[in-house]
Amino acid sequence: MKTEIKHRWVYQQSPEEVWKYLTLSELIALWLMPNNFEAIVGHEFEFRTDPIPSLELNGIFYCKVIEIVPFKKLTYSWKGGSRHEITTLDTIVEWTLEEHENGTILNLKHSGFNTENYSILTGMTDGWLKNIQKMLHHLKENNNGNS
Amino acid sequence: MATANLDVFQVIADPSRRQILHLLTKDRYNINKLAENFEMSRPAVSKHVKVLQKAGFISIQEIGRERYCVLSPEGFNEISNWLDHFDNFWNNKLKKLETILNNKK
Repeated sequence: MKTEIKHRWVYQQSPEEVWKYLTLSELIALWLMPNNFEAIVGHEFEFRTDPIPSLELNGIFYCKVIEIVPFKKLTYSWKGGSRHEITTLDTIVEWTLEEHENGTILNLKHSGFNTENYSILTGMTDGWLKNIQKMLHHLKENNNGNS
Repeated sequence: MATANLDVFQVIADPSRRQILHLLTKDRYNINKLAENFEMSRPAVSKHVKVLQKAGFISIQEIGRERYCVLSPEGFNEISNWLDHFDNFWNNKLKKLETILNNKK
């Protein structure tokens, strides 16, 4: 089971240009979400979107700038939950930019999807699938026996 | 059935509950057999089982006169739902960024 998401995207624009769209609040809002981002390490900000009840997310992501390397790297924390005081999603978003021909390779790593809990669940997937199959098999046999 | 007011991550944050899930990957257990693996009382184990059941991680199967705890996929699905959600989310957003950057020229 995965614990992180990775995306790699190539843009025709220079890292300087792409960087603006990662670090200027009004430009971020154009493609991502309304926000009050500022490119200052330690700055706390929020992204706002519609609530997603099925995922127990209230639509506000609470973030904090962790690292800035101009035109190269930007990292912020990304937390969410059903209410402000309950953080169930505690993750890290990391952007890295590389110059590529005349454009930019933008890498996104969204990590920390409860690795602690995940490590417990890894290896369990197979287990429970087999188990459920065993159960179904067992139930079938039982039913056949009864009828 | 999984209920909306129970957070799956909180549910499996508890070591005893994770231990119960681990045991259930190997075999089905009734409460008594389950309790043999823990130092806590049978009612305490039973309480954990109820929480896990409510969150969709396990279900109770009646086989003959016995009631067995078995793993259920519901609770687990919720976790991968999150990853899937954000995976799609980012893909859409990055695509949008491309459109915006290209139209700007």
